[in-house]
Amino acid sequence: MAIGEGAAGSIVPQSVQKRVKRISLIVVALLVAVFVTVPVYVMVAIALQSPTAVFAGGDVNLLIKEFTLRNFRVLFDDTNTVRYFTNSLIVTASSTLLSTSLAVAAGYGLTRFEFTGKTIAARAVLFAYMFSPIVLAIPLYVIFFSLDLLNSYFALTMALTAISAPFTIWLMWQYFQTVPISLEESAWVRGASRTRTLWDVVLPVARPGYISAAIFSFAVAWNDFTMARVVMSQDEMYTITVGASLFLDRVSIGWGETMAVSLLICIPPFIIAVFLQNYLLQGFNVGGLE
Amino acid sequence: MARPIHFDNVRKEFQAAGTVHVAVDDLTLTIPEGSFTTLVGPSGCGKTTTLRMIAGLETPTSGRLAFGDEDVTEQTPQERNCAMVFQSIALYPHMTVRENIGYGLKVQGVPKDERNRRIDDAGETLQITEQLEKMPAELSGGQQQRVALGSAFVQDPDVLLLDEPMSDLDAKLKAELRVEVQRLHQELDATVVYVTHDQTEAMTMSDQVILLNEGRLEQFAPPGELFDDPVSAYVAEFIGTPSTNLLPATVERREDALVLASDGFDVPAPESEFADRVGDAVTVGIRPQYLSPNGGTVEVVVTAEVVEQLGTEFVVHGYTPSGHAIDAVSTTFGSVQSGDELRVGFDPADAFVFDADGQTICHGDELTGETVSRAD
Repeated sequence: MAIGEGAAGSIVPQSVQKRVKRISLIVVALLVAVFVTVPVYVMVAIALQSPTAVFAGGDVNLLIKEFTLRNFRVLFDDTNTVRYFTNSLIVTASSTLLSTSLAVAAGYGLTRFEFTGKTIAARAVLFAYMFSPIVLAIPLYVIFFSLDLLNSYFALTMALTAISAPFTIWLMWQYFQTVPISLEESAWVRGASRTRTLWDVVLPVARPGYISAAIFSFAVAWNDFTMARVVMSQDEMYTITVGASLFLDRVSIGWGETMAVSLLICIPPFIIAVFLQNYLLQGFNVGGLE
Repeated sequence: MARPIHFDNVRKEFQAAGTVHVAVDDLTLTIPEGSFTTLVGPSGCGKTTTLRMIAGLETPTSGRLAFGDEDVTEQTPQERNCAMVFQSIALYPHMTVRENIGYGLKVQGVPKDERNRRIDDAGETLQITEQLEKMPAELSGGQQQRVALGSAFVQDPDVLLLDEPMSDLDAKLKAELRVEVQRLHQELDATVVYVTHDQTEAMTMSDQVILLNEGRLEQFAPPGELFDDPVSAYVAEFIGTPSTNLLPATVERREDALVLASDGFDVPAPESEFADRVGDAVTVGIRPQYLSPNGGTVEVVVTAEVVEQLGTEFVVHGYTPSGHAIDAVSTTFGSVQSGDELRVGFDPADAFVFDADGQTICHGDELTGETVSRAD
C-alpha cells in the first residue's frame, strides 16, 4: 500500500504519514507562492513607485519605499487606457451575459426535453470546446469581414461567446442534471406554469451553477487577447489586453506604466474572486470537477 | 370537493431503445370519491406511472381518465386540482418552510393574510409551527415529510396523491406519519390515492386497495377482502406477512371422494368444483398464521430451519418432507430448535386453492361446503 493511501493498515505509521502530509503541504504552498505571489508583488512594486525610484542606481529596487500614482496619471493623460478599459468592460459584460443565458437555456433544454439529435448536439458542444481560439479566429474574421461587422462590440461579443459557450453549456448541462425534476413537477401540480416554475424554482436552485458559468465566461472574455486582436483594428476599439500589449512598443511608455496597466487589469477579476468564490466552488463541485 | 377518479382502458407505453415497455396495461376501474385508495405492488408494476397519470405528469398512450364527469385525459397538471407528495419530498431548498407550504397558494393568487392564516393552520395540524421560519435543510427527515404533507394539504385539493412518501423514513416515524396521513384524510374533502410497495401500509391505511401486477390490475377490493378472498396466488402471496405458503397438489379420486393430494397431507375436495379436474395440478395456499400445532384437521410435517421471534409470536421457516419452503406463525413455537420436526395442522376452511395459472379455484369455505350458506 502506498504512503497516504488509507490511514490504517499502511506499513508507514500514522504519525509519520501525518507529518509527511503537513510537510508536503507546506512545500507545495511555498512553490505556488514563488510562482504566483512573487510576480504579483513585482507588478505592484513597480506600478506604485516612480520609475526613478525603482531603477535608481542601475538596479531594480523591489522593496516599496515610496508610494505614488504617477504611473497611473501618465496612463490616463497620455494613452487611451480609459477607453480600452471601457471597451473591455462592455464586451466582457455582454459576452458574460450572452454566454450564461445561452448556457442556462441549453442546459435546461438538454436535461428536460427529449429531441432527436440530442446526443450529437451534446457531443458537438464538447468537441467545440477542444478548439483553440486561434483556430476560430481566422474563420470568424472572414465572417465578420463579409458582414461588415469588424471593429464592433457586437462582433467581439459573439467571438468571445463562441470561445466560452461550449464550456458554460457543458457546465450547466451537468448542473441541471443535479436539480431534481420533482421540484419542477411539484410546482406544476400546484398550478405554476413552466415559465413561472423556471423563475421561481429552477433558476434559484441552479444559481451556483450559472454563477460559475458567468465567472468562467467573464474570465475568458476579460483575459482574451486573440479575438480582440483579430476583430478590432482601430485604436479606439482596442480592449485593455491588446492596448496594454502595445504599450511595450511605445517609447514614451515605460515599465512603470505597463505594470500600472497590468494592475488595472487585475482589479475586476480580483473583485469577482473575492465576492463570488463560494459560488465558484459549489458550481465546479458538480460533475466531478474539484 | 372530492371527486371520483375513472380509469377507462388506460394504457401507458414507454419507448426505450427501440422496444416498447407497457407500464400500465388497459386499466379500467373507478376510485370512489373521498376514499383512501392505495396502489400497491412490487417495484416496476406501474403504480407510480398510474399516479403520475392522475396528476397529469404523464399522458396515457390510449384510454380515458376522468375526475367525476370531467374528462382530464388531455389536461395539464396545472389545470387539475391535484396535490402531490413526492417520494423525494421535493421541498424548495431556497424557500423557508412557510414559503414552501404557501407556494401553491401564492401561484393561485391567494392574498398574503389569507395565505399566512392557512399556513399557520396547516402548521398546527402537522405540529410544525416551530419550524415555519426555518429552511428545509435545517429540518429532520420526518419534519420535512410533514412540510411536504402540509404543502399538499393547504391547497384543499380534489385529489391528493402520495407517491411512497414514507419509503425513506424509519419504522417509528412511519407509524407516526401513517396516523397523521389518515387524520388528514378525515379532515380533507379529497380523494386520496396512496402509492406504496409496503403491503402493511396498504392494509392498515386504506378503504380500497388496487394491487397491480406488471401493469395489469390484479385485484381491486377493500383490504379485508384482499386478505380473505384473493383472486389469485399472486394476491395471496403479496398480501400478508409472512407470505402465504403455496404447496403443489394434485386432484385425485380416493375411493368415492376427491382429495387434493400434496406433501404428505390430503385436503378433502368438493365434487362440485373438482369433479372435472381429476389429475390436474393445483396449488394449495395456506397462510402461516393458520398453521399451528393442533390447528386443524389437515396435518403437515415441517422441519424447522430458522425460528424468528416477533414479540409474542414466533415464525418458523422450514420445509415440507419433499423440500418445499413453508412458514408457520404461532405463539407456541418458543422452544422450537433448528432441525426439529413439527406437526402443524390447518383447517381446510382457511385454505385457498389455485389452478396451474395461479387463478383462484375456490376459497376455504367452499372447500368445506359452506358456500351455500354464504351465497344466501
